[in-house]
Amino acid sequence: MSEAIHDYSGAFDPSFDHGRLDRETLVGLLRAYSNYIRKLDGHWYLSVMNKCGNDVAYDCDIDVWNKLMKFELKVASEMLNIRGGGVSSVAKYFQVSPWFWTFKPRLELKGQDRLEVTFDKCPTLLALEKEGSGRESQICSDMEQELFKTIAHHFNPKIKVAALKLPPRRSVDDICCKWEFKIERKR
Amino acid sequence: MTKLLPDYSGPFDPDFSHEKLSREVLLKILKENSDYLRRLDGTWYIKVMDKCGNDVAFECDYEIWVKFILHELRSACKLMKIKGNDVETLMKAMQSTSWMWIHDRTFELKNKKHGIITYRNCQTLQHLENEGTGRDRQICHILEKKLFELMAQYFNPRIKVNALKLPPREKGSDISCQWEYKLEG
Repeated sequence: MSEAIHDYSGAFDPSFDHGRLDRETLVGLLRAYSNYIRKLDGHWYLSVMNKCGNDVAYDCDIDVWNKLMKFELKVASEMLNIRGGGVSSVAKYFQVSPWFWTFKPRLELKGQDRLEVTFDKCPTLLALEKEGSGRESQICSDMEQELFKTIAHHFNPKIKVAALKLPPRRSVDDICCKWEFKIERKR
Repeated sequence: MTKLLPDYSGPFDPDFSHEKLSREVLLKILKENSDYLRRLDGTWYIKVMDKCGNDVAFECDYEIWVKFILHELRSACKLMKIKGNDVETLMKAMQSTSWMWIHDRTFELKNKKHGIITYRNCQTLQHLENEGTGRDRQICHILEKKLFELMAQYFNPRIKVNALKLPPREKGSDISCQWEYKLEG
């Protein structure tokens, strides 16, 4: 087997494929793809909003993500063999999802049945705060809540999702949002 | 050295990162993420088309991709250390973008100033052919041409792009489209 290459600075190779790259570069590419996904989605939202208004853009966004989130959950959990109905599966999904990779949420497992997810940084919220039109109330509370429910219920329909902290925030040093995923067991 | 993971079936690891995964699984994830990108783009297009019509959807698509393609190209060249200003450099860059995973393409470099790229069994074209509304004229003839020209100009404004084959394709042909790149002068 030929040695893995770190980049493609050498001569043109008609049969080049990414399988020849070393692990470090593959991880770099994964990070870049994750960034593309977030940016491409944002570009679509803004382009539609500018042409047809926020209501249409928001409706499309909901439809797009209702469909895509289910696809992503299926692919990520099957490919990485993330199974089980506990909140730890949700935590593991947050770590591997290409969407959430750019957000780097803080994941705290509080025992077997409770998970806290804190978003210290969020490029989407930063853009919304800069825009100043208050769209974060839709995106961060309504839409995120639904998406997080979809994630939780993929692993276990009994997992409840609650927002512990949501925008607007007092200062840029404040966290962006915080969520709780919890299984309530009957005694 | 820590053993690389073939998946994430073990217990939750607060320090998990993709660096802990094996090459094989990293490659699988990259391929899926590339497909994810295509699905995200396609799903947005269809939703906007359903709500606002094809003209608005195409306008958005065009506006987004003329910006986004250069972002992606810059990022791929930086990561892969691809430098230069000839057709060879352009072909290397096109081999390195996220679209490489989902398109069946062949690259024929005649010399550093002349190359031909052939796309076979393009999933987008197959979808458009099934849809049967003739949208391939917009997507393949207008948008793709514009994007290929932008990519060529990014390296050298003297690289000219010429479509050798475009949809509708001949019956039984697996070639979706074919493009020629020539550095003039």
